[in-house]
Amino acid sequence: MPKIEILSTVLSAKRVKLSKGWYKFSRNTLSVLGLITLIIIVLAAILAPYITPYPEHAGPYTNFRESGQPPNLKHLFGTDTVGRDVFSRVIFGYRFSLLLAVVVISLSVPPGIVLGLVAGYTRRRWLEVGIMRVTDIFLAVPPLVLALAITAMLSPKLLNQMMAISLMWWPWYSRLVYSITSSLRHEYFVHDAELTGARKGFILIRSILPNCVGPVLTKITLDMGFVITLGASLSFIGLGVQPPKPGLGTMVADGAKRLPAEWWMTIFPALAIVFVILSFNLIGDGLRDMFAVEEI
Amino acid sequence: MFKYIALRLFHSLFVLLGLSILIFFISRIMPGDPARVALGPLATEEQVQKLRVEMHLDKPFPVQYYFWLKSVLHGDLGRSLYTRRPVVTDLNEFLPATLELVLFSFLISLIFGQVTGVLAGYFRNSWFDGLSRMVSYIGVATPAFAVAIFLLLIFSHILGFTPAVGRISIALRPPPRVTGFIILDSLLAGQFKTALNGLKHIILPAASLAVAHIAQEGRVTRSSIVDNMQKDYVAAHVVHGIPTQSVMFKYLLKPSLIPTVSIMGLDFAFILANAFLVELVFMWPGFARYAVTVMLNKDLNAIVAVVLIVGVAFAIVNLIVDIVVSFLDPRIRLQRRGG
Amino acid sequence: MPKDNPLLEIKNLHVRFRVFEGELRVLNGVDLIIYEGEKVGLVGETGCGKTTTIKSVLRVLPSPPAKITAGEIFYRGKDLLKMKRREIPALRRGEISAIFQDPLTSLNPVFTVGHQLQDIIKYSLKQQGYDHVSKKEIRLRAAVLLKETGMPDQERILKSYPVQLSGGMRQRVCISEALRVTVRLLLADEPTTNLDVTIQDQILRRLDELVEKRGTSILLITHSLGVVRNLTHRVYIMYAGNIVETAGTKDLFTDPLHPYTGGLLKTVPKLTGEGVSEGIRGRIPNYLNPPQGCRFHPRCDHAMPICEKEKPPWFSTGDNHRVACFLYRG
Repeated sequence: MPKIEILSTVLSAKRVKLSKGWYKFSRNTLSVLGLITLIIIVLAAILAPYITPYPEHAGPYTNFRESGQPPNLKHLFGTDTVGRDVFSRVIFGYRFSLLLAVVVISLSVPPGIVLGLVAGYTRRRWLEVGIMRVTDIFLAVPPLVLALAITAMLSPKLLNQMMAISLMWWPWYSRLVYSITSSLRHEYFVHDAELTGARKGFILIRSILPNCVGPVLTKITLDMGFVITLGASLSFIGLGVQPPKPGLGTMVADGAKRLPAEWWMTIFPALAIVFVILSFNLIGDGLRDMFAVEEI
Repeated sequence: MFKYIALRLFHSLFVLLGLSILIFFISRIMPGDPARVALGPLATEEQVQKLRVEMHLDKPFPVQYYFWLKSVLHGDLGRSLYTRRPVVTDLNEFLPATLELVLFSFLISLIFGQVTGVLAGYFRNSWFDGLSRMVSYIGVATPAFAVAIFLLLIFSHILGFTPAVGRISIALRPPPRVTGFIILDSLLAGQFKTALNGLKHIILPAASLAVAHIAQEGRVTRSSIVDNMQKDYVAAHVVHGIPTQSVMFKYLLKPSLIPTVSIMGLDFAFILANAFLVELVFMWPGFARYAVTVMLNKDLNAIVAVVLIVGVAFAIVNLIVDIVVSFLDPRIRLQRRGG
Repeated sequence: MPKDNPLLEIKNLHVRFRVFEGELRVLNGVDLIIYEGEKVGLVGETGCGKTTTIKSVLRVLPSPPAKITAGEIFYRGKDLLKMKRREIPALRRGEISAIFQDPLTSLNPVFTVGHQLQDIIKYSLKQQGYDHVSKKEIRLRAAVLLKETGMPDQERILKSYPVQLSGGMRQRVCISEALRVTVRLLLADEPTTNLDVTIQDQILRRLDELVEKRGTSILLITHSLGVVRNLTHRVYIMYAGNIVETAGTKDLFTDPLHPYTGGLLKTVPKLTGEGVSEGIRGRIPNYLNPPQGCRFHPRCDHAMPICEKEKPPWFSTGDNHRVACFLYRG
């Protein structure tokens, strides 16, 4: 068969696979809802300066005459102790959360995958054990504690938060990819590829990596939620986004001092966090269904 | 079996050692001068220099680590730069509070998680199942500090059921210290009113910590039961005449608990970590709140000690979980042996 | 072959399964009789509804997706389908018993073999009125059962978990479980299909011995004609939810009537090595939309116009040989 025909067959096969995948995903109403919610949140965050009623409130702004207002028509979520519009700040707050999630995932997933592939595939026992031991060390402590410790030892800023979390997030992916790779290692199709003289890198990328796509993508989606939680928790303690910047966790912490009288200062940022994490989780569930092997 | 435990212990020790090196390394390469931070800007240069030598800060890193490790093995975790007391003393004072909280929370999540999971599994697709599914989605998506704040708002401020801060009311005198667990100690001393008071104080923070895990464990148990219900051996048990009660509550339950128990180690880690947040909200005088304080104050010695303690606790719990799982599931036990 | 009152009589059984795409009309009117002391074979390819049939008899069909839409199952004169729930355990503990296809999944992986076997024995003995049998006696009985099925070293086996035993040993355990007390009817669903070829014969013969010794009737279900040849008195051939032919075993082999039976016989490889064994063209039908009339007609070389329109009734060709095929009309 001439190359062009092969290419078009492969492309159409991929298209069919994608549409079948989407079909499986869309069967789950909740997941689709999550996807829609997430798209709205992301768009809102990107367009924050343009769509929020009081974009200047996201920085150092004070107006004590307007402070302490409960939710009303002018300020949907009310105002905080120095007069800033909570709604606008929440939208801007999403920027920090999403940025954090994207940066951490981008920095930590690729090295994690690579290490997992190498550890799972290599025949050199010392390499496999070495990598996995290092992974274990990073996993010996709950992520929050380690992130707290590292951020604390640096100076508390969003940037450092990102660095700290990225530093300790890769082991989860190494472990996941390692377990998939090492279980596939002895399968026939890998064996055949080796026998026909294919280079190791080639085998890894073409035969083993595709099998990791499903679980890794699902995990990434769910991890976005985890990372956002982690970031919010760090900010809550005071080691993340510093005031006057509108980090969601920071806002919850500030607002908590005003409970119960001025509840809106803390409840709305908290709900905002729940919403974004919920959408990621719902999408993750849908992805899991999408990648699930159908039983005959 | 013992070989298995020994191997795991060895592995844990190795990992803890590596962890100590990692965290010590990070703490020592951080910018800033710990000695200066400890003594404050008013101290003289000589005082700072003296402290520097005392802390071995002028020596190369491996030497510093050696000194530190030596003292740790002698039970000395250094001196807190913040409280000026030996870290061990600080730990002694604060650790029991957190342990009590964490264990209580673990217990709550265990009981409620399993019960909801089992019921949801047996009554699959009923209204209960659907409701618990919705609730669990929200439970998993809410960070612990948010749960704490919501619960605080509803139960303390609005409904007034439970107090908002601390372990026991200021008006009451704490019981004589036996275990450090206020509730337990009160019961042991016969002070029931104090015990009840302590219970009222602990319920909200413990619930905040437990919510996410009730949700998670509940779902896992439920799907495990649903999966296993369709297995051939369940039908075989019924066909061979085992009464339904026995099939449901013995033969179906045991294999279904295995996936849940496997994640309990991780859950414990998260409960411990989230305690750092919840203790702040409820002003619980525990180890985690102490940890946050030392972190905010860049108290290096204490930070290293804290991370290590958490690592040790996690390792112990993981070991226990692994042992329990291999009891429940003989397949794991036997495969390790190479059988 | 004692032929008194029928032990089991299935009459016109229709079973449907509710699935996302619609309803699977799996069983389409199954008729089957077993007499006391008889050894009967039920042969049909995978997916033809054999397991569904016996699950209906045992009343372990998963009721939400499955539905029995018509038919009766008489056991010693009583309709099992109309029996109350609480009367059924009595049947399971002393009258009807079963062996399933996959021994690994039929045994609970987290309990020892001994634990499961002894528990089952306990309940069967209770049913028979022995309320307080000591644990030791039950253990002894379990060991005896294992020995009867040909297992050495019974004590060790009792303490083992299913995962520690080989396939053949597991199946022997299942046989012990099924025959722990003398039952009247044993339903054996492909007892050796998942086992190594080398021990299939052994297990089948052992099963045959045990059944004969106890005078138990057996319904031996398999997809292989070769298996039923020497082990049964009569055979039923099943296709896509219908019984298509039934005869005494010898008669069936010497004089197969239904085109499907003929096809099945041709697929048995000949030891003489002459010629390649042929398959039957086509595949089993889609139960969502099964063929009208005779369900086999799309694959049949002798199909006639009437086969597409009407479901063929039974036609008798003497001496207990009956076939559901219009070829034998009149």
